[in-house]
Amino acid sequence: MKCAWKDLLSILPAWMRLPVDKVGRESCQEVRLRLGIPPEIVMYGKHVWLDRQVTRDDLNQCINSASRYSPWNSTTAGQGYLTASGGHRIGICGEGIIKNGILTGFREVRSLCIRVARDYPGIAGELSGKMQSVLIIGAPGWGKTTLLRDLIRGLSNLDQHIAVVDERGELFPSGPAFSPGKCSDVLCGCSKREGIEVLLRTMGPDWIAVDEITAGEDCEALLKAAYCGVKLAATAHAGSLDDFKKRPVYRPLVESGLFHHVMVLRQDKSWTLERMGK
Amino acid sequence: MNFKWIGAIMVIVGCGGFGFSLAAAHRREEATLQQLIFALDYMECELQYRLTPLPDLCRAAAGEQRGCVRDVLLCLSRELDAQISPDAERCMQAALSSVEDIPKHTRGALADMGKTLGRFDLSGQLKGLEQVRASCRAELESLRSNREPQLRSYQTLGLCAGAALTILLV
Repeated sequence: MKCAWKDLLSILPAWMRLPVDKVGRESCQEVRLRLGIPPEIVMYGKHVWLDRQVTRDDLNQCINSASRYSPWNSTTAGQGYLTASGGHRIGICGEGIIKNGILTGFREVRSLCIRVARDYPGIAGELSGKMQSVLIIGAPGWGKTTLLRDLIRGLSNLDQHIAVVDERGELFPSGPAFSPGKCSDVLCGCSKREGIEVLLRTMGPDWIAVDEITAGEDCEALLKAAYCGVKLAATAHAGSLDDFKKRPVYRPLVESGLFHHVMVLRQDKSWTLERMGK
Repeated sequence: MNFKWIGAIMVIVGCGGFGFSLAAAHRREEATLQQLIFALDYMECELQYRLTPLPDLCRAAAGEQRGCVRDVLLCLSRELDAQISPDAERCMQAALSSVEDIPKHTRGALADMGKTLGRFDLSGQLKGLEQVRASCRAELESLRSNREPQLRSYQTLGLCAGAALTILLV
């Protein structure tokens, strides 16, 4: 297991670093900070509460550390999250600022959920260069991104040119923590729709990989790429294959038969390969 | 008799030196304000073009400067990298307290700059830097107006005060 643990510690307030470090990289899953309440460290099946209350300065420090004190560099904060160095995702909650009906930022941040990013090389198992487009589905926190990362690395090491749109910088954050393999090209910080078009035009990929397709426009961009003869690897939120098929936003993907196979994740982070069907 | 002359010379040199040092401080203030304006210009261009994160921005701007402005920007980038302070303003305060010998107006301008750093989106940040630069320019302008007569008067007053003190004491 690989984890940019020092990066995680560095975004926490100084007084929290030692107790979180004691919990250790193996067991720590999330750190949850809520204003006026002691920090909660979530481990596999266990919770630990530290004995000091979280202050506004603590929350500010986390956000500023994650964005490197540069709000202009963290446009995703308006969507309720930030990706810190090392790929750790910080979910933001509080009093939102709404402009034209859209959340654009936070007037006051009241809680943060810091999810520890991990890499498990080899979890995607044996891969073949003749493999067809593949979709990974699972509920939040079940390891979709981790599995996709390993899948990308595996295909890349089979000399498949795989271009990745890493919109949130979570798949392959800058730094040596997570290797994308020898034939990967990673486009960071760009929307999936725009990124797929750029990669199709410029990188001549065999595969295009994207994490978390959530919008209709993402599905359209994937279909467009598939019709250009590129194979796809993607992840989507769904508890099961039936749930996935029921969601209207994914209907074009199901009906087009774009993905023959689906890797369905379970809560224990194991997965099974299932046929998509219609 | 000799002691009187030596004492008189020491008083004149001391007072004259004080006048000259005031003139030198004036020149130094001008030079550092000018450096700060250059640094702000650089930061603005870099931000507009590359959206550089603050610690890298300060380090890059420091590379283009020298003297105390360079030292403060380097210290600030180290403080930001250490990720110990909750906001950039406190990082700037820590940087200013660790660099000595910063001229008064430059220190004030740097502290004002610290208040704007990392608080707003790109356009807000650029406006903040522009505001600090405008105040630096105004300060520089006022230092430069009547510069030569003012510097001469510091030096002359120092020497004259020394001479007057000598006459009174002798």
